[in-house]
Parts: sequence; C-alpha cells; structure tokens
Amino acid sequence: MENTYALKATGINKFFHQPTEFQVLKDISFEAKKGEFLSLVGKSGSGKSTLLYVLSTMDTDYEGTLSINDESLTGKGQNELAAFRNANIGFVFQFHYLLPEFTTLDNVMLPALKLGRKSKEEIRQSALDKLELLEIKDQAHKSANKLSGGQQQRVAIARALINDPAIIMGDEPTGNLDSKNTDIVFDIFRQLAKYRGQTIIAVTHDDDFAAKSDRVLELSDGYMVA
Amino acid sequence: MTRSTNTKVAFSHLTSRVKQSIVAVLSVTFGISMYIFMNGFMTGVNDIQADLAFSSLAHIRVYNDLPEDRSDLISDDQMPSQLVNLRHPKVIQYSEGINNVDREISILGQFDGITEITSQVNMNVFFRNGSTRVSGVLNGVNAAKEDRLFGMAASMKSGNWLDLDHRSDGIILGVGLAKRLSLGMDDNVFLKTGDGITRNFKIIGLLETSLNSIDNSKAYVRINSARQLVSENQSYATDIQINLTDFENAEAMAAQMRQYTDFKVESWNEANGQLEAGNELRNYLALAVSLTILLVAGFGIYNIMNMTVNEKIREIAILKAMGFEGWDIVEIFLTQSLIIGLMGGLIGILIGGGVSTIVNNVPFNIASLETLPMAFRKSDYLSAFVFGLLTTFIAGYLPARKASLIDPVEIIRG
Repeated sequence: MENTYALKATGINKFFHQPTEFQVLKDISFEAKKGEFLSLVGKSGSGKSTLLYVLSTMDTDYEGTLSINDESLTGKGQNELAAFRNANIGFVFQFHYLLPEFTTLDNVMLPALKLGRKSKEEIRQSALDKLELLEIKDQAHKSANKLSGGQQQRVAIARALINDPAIIMGDEPTGNLDSKNTDIVFDIFRQLAKYRGQTIIAVTHDDDFAAKSDRVLELSDGYMVA
Repeated sequence: MTRSTNTKVAFSHLTSRVKQSIVAVLSVTFGISMYIFMNGFMTGVNDIQADLAFSSLAHIRVYNDLPEDRSDLISDDQMPSQLVNLRHPKVIQYSEGINNVDREISILGQFDGITEITSQVNMNVFFRNGSTRVSGVLNGVNAAKEDRLFGMAASMKSGNWLDLDHRSDGIILGVGLAKRLSLGMDDNVFLKTGDGITRNFKIIGLLETSLNSIDNSKAYVRINSARQLVSENQSYATDIQINLTDFENAEAMAAQMRQYTDFKVESWNEANGQLEAGNELRNYLALAVSLTILLVAGFGIYNIMNMTVNEKIREIAILKAMGFEGWDIVEIFLTQSLIIGLMGGLIGILIGGGVSTIVNNVPFNIASLETLPMAFRKSDYLSAFVFGLLTTFIAGYLPARKASLIDPVEIIRG
C-alpha cells in the first residue's frame, strides 16, 4: 500500500458571489490519512463548514482538486458524485435529519438500500449490528421521532456507518448534545478511526472535542493556519 | 432495491399528510367524474339527436336526380367559324325514378356494413275528406324493411304498422294529417295524385313520431299500391334507402357506391349539414369543458405537491447528501402523484358513473324523450382515466423536478 491517504485536497479556492464577491477559502491544501481523526476548527465565518461541504463533494463550485481514495472527484457530475457519496462518505450533521415516519431501523438501512450491493436481509442484519455498536438496538423498531435527541444523533451515526464508508464527515456532530452524549459520540468516532481505519473529519466548536482528536486543522479568514 | 426504497419514502410522505393527500385525490376525483359526466351527457344528446334525425332520414339515399345542366352545349372554341342559333335550352329528365330497382338493390346490397336496404315509391298527393283537402306526401313502402330502417312500429299511436304489408287498401296517416282531415281509425280517405288518378284507402293506423314534418304531412301505403297509383311496374321505385352499421361511414360509403350506379347517391351529411355541425360543435364543447376541469384538478395537485416538496425539503436534502440521485427524488414525488392519480381516477370513474346514472333518470318530457339522455361509453371512461393520469403526471413532475434540483448544501447549512 504505497498511498495511505484517504483524502487529498490541493489548492482549494472558493468564492461567494452574493451579496458581493468574497473569497471564503484561500489556497487550502491538506491530506488526511486512513484512520485519522481530524478536527476542523475556527471562528464562525472562517470557512470551516464551507471547506467541509467542498470536501463532502456536495459543493462543486470551487477551484483546485479533490481526491478521495485516489479517485479524483473534481469536475464530476452531480449524479456521479451522489453515487460516490453513497458508497464512500458517511455524514453526521448537527441536526439528525432522520425521516420521522420511518423506524430507526429503516432510517439506518436507507443508504444501503440505495447502494443495493447487499440483499435486504444482509442490510437488515448489518443495520442491527451498527445499532448495537451504538447501544441503541433496543430502539430499532420505534419510529425515529419518538427518540431522545442523543438517541437520534446516534441513529444518525449508525446511518452514516451503514455502507462502511472510507470517510465520515461531521458538521458539528455534537453541537446539539449534552456533555454525556458528546462523550459517547466522541468515543464512537475514536473507535471507528482506531479499529476500523475509517477517517473522521469533524467541524467543531468544542475545544475539548478538538483537543482529543488526532490532529486539529484551524482555519482563519479562509487560510489554513494550523 | 432503490425502487422499493423510493416507493417507501413516497408512501411515508402520503401517509404523514393524510388530509392533503385526500384533498389531492378529491381534486382528481372531481376532475375525472366531471369529465365522464360531461362527455357522457354530450354523447347522449348527440345520440338522441341522431336517433331523432335518423327516424326519418336514412344514412344513404339513392334517387334519380335531374341530369347535369348542359344548356351551354355550344361554346365558342368548339365551332369557331360557325354561327349557331339555340332556342329555349332546357334540362329535360328523360326517365323518372329508378326503373330496375331490384338490380340496383342487388348491386348496392353487396357492400359490407349495410344493415338494411329498401326501396320506396314516394309522391306528392292530395288527401280529401269531403270538402277538406290537404296536400301531403305519400310513401309506398315495404313495411317490414321500413320498420327495420326507421323503427316505425314503435311510433304507432294506434293500429299495427306491419299490417300495411297485408292490406293493399290500407293506409297509415300521421296524427297531424289525420286531425287536419278530421279522420280517425277505420275511416276512408280519398287520394288524388299529380296525374289525376284517384283512389280510396282505409285508415288502418295512426303514426306519432313527434317530428311535425312527418306527423302533419305523411302517409304510408304498401309499395305496390303506390306503384299502381303512378302506373308503374313491380320493379319501379323513386328512392332506395340504405342504413349502415356506423353512420359515420356514410360519406365514404356513398363515394364507393357512386362507382357502381348511375343514380344520385346522397349521404346524410350532404342532405343534412346542420346535423353534423351540431354534433361536432357539441363534441368540441364537451372536450373544452372537460379539459378545463382536468386542468383545474391538475393545478390542485400541482399546488399540493409543491407544498409537500417545501415541507420535506430537508428530507430531500439529506437523501441527496446520502447519495440519492436527482432521478430518485423525481421518482419519489412522481410515485406520490401517480398514486393520487390512480386513486382519484378509480373513485372518479365510480362517481362519474353514479352521477351519470342519476342524471340519466331525471325526467325530461320534451319531444320523444322521457329522461335526460346519457351515453355510457367505455372509451369515455378509459380516456378520462388516461387524461387524469396524464394530468397528475405533469402536475407531479414539475414540483418533483424542482425537488430534484435543490442544492443540499444550501438547505442543510440553512
């Protein structure tokens, strides 16, 4: 294995055109190793979330190049990128965004059903395993809007894990959680990086959270300063 | 795999907003039932019009017309150096009526799609009862065939139409004509032709068709009796009347027949242009009204699907973030609108049929009608369903496309 980078960004520049021309990201280059736990920090408006969405492939309006698992993603079409995200990237947001009418289990199964690489029964089993990992297997058949905030966020993480993605991206994944749940989520990320070799990139405002991660990337006024 | 997932998401949207879904279904139901009702009603009216019209008019009539006008026989370029004096040019009819009617009938009767073909001997006559004298039309007919063509037996006020074939001295009068002559059943009527031949007939029936043109002026006798009145032989007739299985074919059929006969072949459209115009105009009217209703129903669905998209925009964003493609999103919303369309369509067909049945039983005692006319054609129900689905498809596609184009980043970052 000559290349151990999971993600490589080179010379990323991004502009906002509304309301006035404004450069959000200025020549950002960095690499993330396989199994590395990265925190993205910075003041609000520093561009850290913007960078995360560029890295996530959802935002394609940027200059520079981005490759994940040695696959160059710059310039690909929306549907192609959607399929790529489905297989290779898991998302955890500040808000859980579960489908409220679906059960916990159905929510977790959704990305795998879309990917369609396994049979429904295998997906079901794998979803139950992920829920067990996150210690909410007992809630599997409840509908998602009946769970507590901490439980919902864990379900969202289980959903992000279902396709065993190379990279898990979090946009303030613990932003809405109390300290107990924050610790639980952090420990889960820690384990995923350590034992499964999954790369974690999380935007956070929580200094403790950032301090405990493998590496902290700090953004200030669009520049990467650390 | 993806398909069933998309369907499942679609169902969850429908069931999470039961009220809106019901309203959407109802708007389709309304559109489709009105479409069925309007078209059924218009078709019913057209059918009644046709029935009324064809109770005296055959689909095709063959008769001996005046010969072509050749009064300008001598033109300048034919005889440039000669002076020609032509006095009193006239169009002269050398033969009257159809002299070898059996031959014509055997030729024309071979065409496919003919339900009945019969010959008539028609003439203008004077009816007399004492000093009362009324002019009218005498039709010499074959009673059984005439009945199959025009349903005469059903319009008899008294007497039996088919008796005409057995009574060479029998005559059937229109009720209006009988009233003007102050005559009733079993009375004698005195008849005088244009050539001055007179004869007595006995009234064996009275006819009431509700068409004044028939009731006030027509009388029917056996065809051979009429032939005697004009001193013609057994194979003489003035008209051949033909009915077809489908009267819409009359024009094309008449054109074919012209190649096989020297006589004038006239389809009902030629004889009665206003009838066809009326039919066509009512069809357009029904189409315009029902399409407008479907359009309104379409807007209803469009509106509700748009609301759904706005309500579920975060869900859509997250689905896209997780890797659902634009087409998956379109499919999710199209599935919803098609389910609405299918349900609305099926209920609409039932309600449309129900309303049509009720209206069909509303009393309407004008002319020969007893209730409002209504047609129940499979094709109306089928096309209502197809149009309904098409409308929901288009009305659902536009919001679905909008949903598929949203930018997940914009929605998730807020």
